[in-house]
Amino acid sequence: MMLAVKVSRLLQKAIYAFVTIFVALTTIFFVIRLSPGDPVETVLGGKATQEEMTKLKAQLGLDLPMHSQYKNYLTGLVHGDLGKTIFGNKDVKDQMKQRMAPTVILAATSVSFAAVIGIFLGIMAGYKKNKNFDKFSRLISLFALSFPIFSLAPLMVLIFSVKLNWLPVSEWGTLKHMVLPIITLVIPLSAIVMRVTRNKYLEEAHSQWVMVTRSKGLSDVAILLRILKVCLPTILNVVSIQLSVVIAGTMITETIFDIPGMGSLLFDGIQNRDYPIVQGVIVYSTVTYMIIYFLVDFLNEKLDPRTQS
Amino acid sequence: MFKRKLTSEMKWGFGILGLYGLWAIAWFIYSYLIKGFIFKPYVPELNMKVELALPFTKGLVLGADLLGRSLLEVLSAGLTYSLTLSFIVTIVTASIGIFMGYMAVRAPSWFKMLFDLSINLVFIFPSILIAIMIMAVTGQSMKGLIFAMVITGWSGYAKIARGESKRVLALTYVEGARAIGIGEIRLFFTLIIPAILPVLIVNMVLGISGVIISEAALGFLGLGGSPYSWGTMLSAAKTVLLEAPHIAMILSLTMAGLIIGLNLLGDGLRDYLDPNKG
Repeated sequence: MMLAVKVSRLLQKAIYAFVTIFVALTTIFFVIRLSPGDPVETVLGGKATQEEMTKLKAQLGLDLPMHSQYKNYLTGLVHGDLGKTIFGNKDVKDQMKQRMAPTVILAATSVSFAAVIGIFLGIMAGYKKNKNFDKFSRLISLFALSFPIFSLAPLMVLIFSVKLNWLPVSEWGTLKHMVLPIITLVIPLSAIVMRVTRNKYLEEAHSQWVMVTRSKGLSDVAILLRILKVCLPTILNVVSIQLSVVIAGTMITETIFDIPGMGSLLFDGIQNRDYPIVQGVIVYSTVTYMIIYFLVDFLNEKLDPRTQS
Repeated sequence: MFKRKLTSEMKWGFGILGLYGLWAIAWFIYSYLIKGFIFKPYVPELNMKVELALPFTKGLVLGADLLGRSLLEVLSAGLTYSLTLSFIVTIVTASIGIFMGYMAVRAPSWFKMLFDLSINLVFIFPSILIAIMIMAVTGQSMKGLIFAMVITGWSGYAKIARGESKRVLALTYVEGARAIGIGEIRLFFTLIIPAILPVLIVNMVLGISGVIISEAALGFLGLGGSPYSWGTMLSAAKTVLLEAPHIAMILSLTMAGLIIGLNLLGDGLRDYLDPNKG
């Protein structure tokens, strides 16, 4: 019986996730067609003739009635077909495959570093509440949150590459090239994780079950670990919501450091007004983000059975 | 409630924001009343002779940018643009959010589920990615930018409004008001709104800084709604980072100062309204 309940819950979750992703993709489709502005005009710029516009409309399939456009969009997505680029007529999917590795490496490493650093500092700050360490780390996190990636990165380049000449300015390949981009990504994210961890820690630290463990004579470290386990779902939840910002941040970082990843592909797509590339990259990262979100959601239930209701 | 002392965070936040506010007002008066006229405001002039000038040279306080415009003037134009946009977006998103959140609690049962579901769905949407997509595909304008940010941004406020209205609707004085037959609209405006607004204002202050950052991120990708967007200017400054590092530095610090002010005020307000937390 337990197994049946578990399987049905799992199925429920999967269906919910599937429906949400479907709705998100549908929203992307309709929002673009409802928002002020015309894709074809954007692609060609103001000076195009009527003939060119109709030609491009046919090439992109935008001349069809709305319902068949929608059908084409969905069948394309199911088959993993994201269309052809306007310039060069290449497959968008292949282009993305070539550029995937750096983005995934950057995003994954920075999220893991930020989680470790943020949780450690957050617990320390909560443990030493209102002491100097706490005040200092809160001040630092405030500053870290106030420098967005695209304003932090040029400053880092100025300090570490130009003035001190420790690290290369741009490009990709060796470990040395990865240091600056990862630091710029880690700083704001770890500040967020730190704040959440600190607040959640303080919420839990004065609860009754902690008093009980303390009265049983457990060491401080053992109690800390137990509190951490309770805090983990909240932290994971925040990290998973921040993930869309991380993806966007990775893309911006890539354009600053000239890294040949998805972000620079997107940036080139925006610059050349290559509509299928932009759509492909965004749709792909949206789906990735949502899948991770639901995996984390599922993991949280395992960690904290109270969230099951 | 107002007898409580202001926290030092709030004092700093108010101080910093006050300076920025004065700056914006000064620029507004300068460009709309002194140098230009109401319908034809003054815009920073191009002057190729002073291109990339350093601060305090050639009669320019902060130097000049890539196109030879005075950096101080360009920064000020960016400040007024950024503040206007973020205030519009935040007020519109918060109003939609309050309405949707309240409806998710108070609407007839069938609609309630619909509102509830749409809040949960939009909350999971990766808003910045969808905003990038909208701006890239439909062309760059301030109208499009506001549309893109509003359509993806309201759900955070709606979630808070939903929780808060649920709490407030269960309070005794609301129950009493309903027992003597208060109308739905009057109930919403005279009892619910005042009760849920404090929490929402904290989030709106933090939300403004979020909008400023997102707008600058879009501008950095070449998707800004104005040539004076700080993101657009930073992306131009990045290309001359080695020749004129002062441009990127001044831009980053100006932007960071504004965001620090907003974050301090938001945090301070949160502690002020709920001193037991945090």
